[in-house]
Amino acid sequence: MSHDALVIGAGVNGLVAAHCLVRGGRRVLVLERAAEADRSGDVGWIPPAVVRDLGLRRHGLKVSRPDPWIVAAIPGARPLDLYADIERSAESIRRLSPADGARWPDFCARVHRLARVFERLYAAPPPDADARGLRDLLGLAALGLRVRMRGREAVIDLLRTPPMSIGQVLDEWFETPALKGVLAATGVAHLCLGPRSGGTAFAFVHQHVGSPAGVFRPPVSNVGAVLAGLPGVEIRRNAEVVAITVRDGRAAGVVLAGGEEIAAPLVVSGADPRRTLLGMVDAAWLDPEFLRAVRHVKCRGVVARVTLDADREPGFEAVALAPSVDYVERAYDDAKYGRVSAQPGIEARRENGRIVADVQYAPYALAEGVWDAARRRALGELVARTLAEHVPGLGLLPVREVLAPPDLEARYGVTEGQLHHGEMTLDQILFMRPVAGWSRYRTPIAGLYLCGAGTHPGGGILGGPGRNATRVILKEMRT
Amino acid sequence: MAPQYDVIVVGGGHNGLVTAAYLARAGKRVLVLERRPLVGGAAVTEEIFPGFKFSMFSYVVSLLRPEIIRDLDLPAHGLHILPLESTVTPMLNGDYLAAWPDHDETRRELYRHSPHDADAYDAYGRVMHHMAHAVRPILSMVPPDPTSLSPRDLLGLLRLGRHFRNIGPENFHSLYKLMTMSSADLLDEWFETDVLKATKAASGIIGTFLGPRSPGTAYVLLHHYMGELDGVFRAWGFAKGGTGSISEAIAGAARRFGAEIRTDATVIRVLIKGGRAEGVALESGEEIRARAVVSGLDPRQTFLKLVDRTELPPDLVDAIRQFTFRGSSGKVNLALDGLPSFTCLPGNGPHLRGAISISPSLEWVERAYDDAKYGRFSRRPYMDIVIPSMIDSGMAPPGKHVMSIFVQYAPYWLDGGWNDAQREAFGDAVIDTVSQFAPNLKSLILHRQVLTPADIERITGLSEGNIFAGELGLHQLFFLRPAPSWARYRTPIRRYYQCGAGTHPGGGIMGASGRLAAIEMLKDGL
Repeated sequence: MSHDALVIGAGVNGLVAAHCLVRGGRRVLVLERAAEADRSGDVGWIPPAVVRDLGLRRHGLKVSRPDPWIVAAIPGARPLDLYADIERSAESIRRLSPADGARWPDFCARVHRLARVFERLYAAPPPDADARGLRDLLGLAALGLRVRMRGREAVIDLLRTPPMSIGQVLDEWFETPALKGVLAATGVAHLCLGPRSGGTAFAFVHQHVGSPAGVFRPPVSNVGAVLAGLPGVEIRRNAEVVAITVRDGRAAGVVLAGGEEIAAPLVVSGADPRRTLLGMVDAAWLDPEFLRAVRHVKCRGVVARVTLDADREPGFEAVALAPSVDYVERAYDDAKYGRVSAQPGIEARRENGRIVADVQYAPYALAEGVWDAARRRALGELVARTLAEHVPGLGLLPVREVLAPPDLEARYGVTEGQLHHGEMTLDQILFMRPVAGWSRYRTPIAGLYLCGAGTHPGGGILGGPGRNATRVILKEMRT
Repeated sequence: MAPQYDVIVVGGGHNGLVTAAYLARAGKRVLVLERRPLVGGAAVTEEIFPGFKFSMFSYVVSLLRPEIIRDLDLPAHGLHILPLESTVTPMLNGDYLAAWPDHDETRRELYRHSPHDADAYDAYGRVMHHMAHAVRPILSMVPPDPTSLSPRDLLGLLRLGRHFRNIGPENFHSLYKLMTMSSADLLDEWFETDVLKATKAASGIIGTFLGPRSPGTAYVLLHHYMGELDGVFRAWGFAKGGTGSISEAIAGAARRFGAEIRTDATVIRVLIKGGRAEGVALESGEEIRARAVVSGLDPRQTFLKLVDRTELPPDLVDAIRQFTFRGSSGKVNLALDGLPSFTCLPGNGPHLRGAISISPSLEWVERAYDDAKYGRFSRRPYMDIVIPSMIDSGMAPPGKHVMSIFVQYAPYWLDGGWNDAQREAFGDAVIDTVSQFAPNLKSLILHRQVLTPADIERITGLSEGNIFAGELGLHQLFFLRPAPSWARYRTPIRRYYQCGAGTHPGGGIMGASGRLAAIEMLKDGL
């Protein structure tokens, strides 16, 4: 049976794109390199349009938002619990600082209002800076007006906040180190930047998009599993695409690791831009300037994932160790010079009787040495020990698995183990994602599109890129 | 009593002087009041040690707007710019990297380090040149208010939008990257030679409290290409007689147009009646009336010190409180018995007529920043060194020299605060670090002056010692400088204006803020 379209990768965005294409009347084959479906939870917000379009709720979508959404460990003191209920969080904060407790509701409202602007921008293909079309310009003007309708302050926040450092923003609002630390960690998640680096305020807002006001951690869901079980799309596992075939400047199909060739006039890649365009396409088809831009997509993996076995209930859903802005900044200092943080920031959540901890910073490229077994073991032990020290009643848990960035790269096929397929920095978002001039999911090769997190709206918006991409693809195929 | 003056300018810094000169040229009766015994603010030449003259704070010029030079006929008032053409960076391995006035020579020098970079250098220069072209009109634009729905502001925004559209998508994207990236990341896209990247990146951190790896530092790289563009003089230059002679030339022009300038006159308060400025009160108790007052001081002083905050809307007070200064640089001025000899280029030579950049590697500059982040001065700072007496012999007695060392980072908020001991320790760190590259330096020092951000604040009045009258970060540029809705040189107090570097475009000896303020004041029909 022949297919109209091939989708590379059965990740959330690949599957969303595949199902959207099917709804557009295409016969789609998804090719996935892994032999088995990944059972770990998917972290990130799923735009309501994706849920609605694909009827995910009906098919068993479960989104969990722990409450408290974070337990912020404070060395030598009672942890700070932050809840979905703003007033309840304010109460816990008041215990540490009455002034901060009093400011919390305002802070939550202001950040939420800003996040709503981005939520709107994320719901469609990116506004193009070089847009000549009247519709694009009107769209932008309408958005500007909408922001203005929310008040003068909304405009100022939108212009002023994104380029700032999250450290600076938090300094304007709060005085409690523990509160600032746990929020700062959100601003640097998956970035090779510290909380004192410019632009991390944007990253903070990005991570908040889709969450209720007052919740600054993305939800976890089973969206990947639900999508994989959704009828209508054929998924072939154990099928690693090693090349995209191009004929006369047009995508013609793919070649699998075993040598098998599959032909289709449309190839949609959920793999990251560097992997797709530098790894799967013959460079002869691409303009050197374009290649240069793709090579420079920053995806510096800095997160290691450590899984610990928990023999009993750990007493929390999600815990963070980032007791101050300086703590996180010092952790970053190590990474800047190619070292694993001596005292890393840790975000741990409970999952299937285990504890999954994201550890930052663990740079992909080390200044000295390589990620070998000894280094992995040391990192695992450091995490187990640190959690035991700072989370009351947890005890020293056995390490089950340590995935350093190169391991994440190998397992998920993401360049440098950067799970967002490219850092979410101001220079790599909207019309700059994945590279300037090519933000609308197409590539210089006709019939080859991107649909992964490396495209707008980027990492952490599950299915957003996949859905936006198919809107462009289906529209272009009609014309 | 009828006011004696049309306008009183508070502060005789170079922007205040420019405002005064333009207003006087338009026939207004203008009085400039300067706290210190000499005009210039941070652009002054002082004979700190007998026979040795120093550009005490600001020491190079590149951005002084050509229209100001022309309008005020500054050369007739003694402005003479001497080129500062080369930059040499001594390296840790004893080698060096140089950029010479001759393009081919620079290319050969770069080729020695990396053939790839020699080629990339020209392409990079072209892109930066285009960017400078794209940004230049913005420097002479009065920022529209993005929060306003008035036709004038909407039109201003539209015009701005059209400007960015007209520069073409490629240029727009490059410009966007420049505004949002870190200088290190941007340079990584172009070059492979570490010392080259370090030297270029260093110019991106000047006056900021950010390291070269922090986004928001790439934009300042552009400044280097801005002056060159105007074609009046080379990229960087010295004023003959030191930086103070620029201020003197502007003051001369102002006087010539009829402005009066009084030094040793400290304004402590702006007199306001019924929401309208009507003069100033001096420390001496004297009160001087005028139809308008314009402050050349930084935003914190303009809004929180010279006027009672009850005269201002609370959101403006909040915005000014949040306006960040965070002085991060210091200055060491040395009187020398002879010329320093750099290990990488021993003895006298053309390199001593240009800048010497102590930025041997990106890591060096980044580590200098790490110190400052945690409230320490850099043990091994980034430094920009010039020897003005090599170009202008009048700056020092025969055979002797003056050396100006710009140092970053020296945080205003030093852990434990600045005191004499800390200042000397900072000075020692500077001298020790330079001596690492020029071992004979210590034996040549006749006098040394060490200026910390606290000293800069004390002497010039610049809050927190920030040399740009407020950080040049994206969050406080253009229509956000110094505060949203108040970036058009006006204030909520009628007849009270602002003209300092804390307004758009600000920073460096540019004079653009002063000129735009004067134009706006004249528009209000003073």
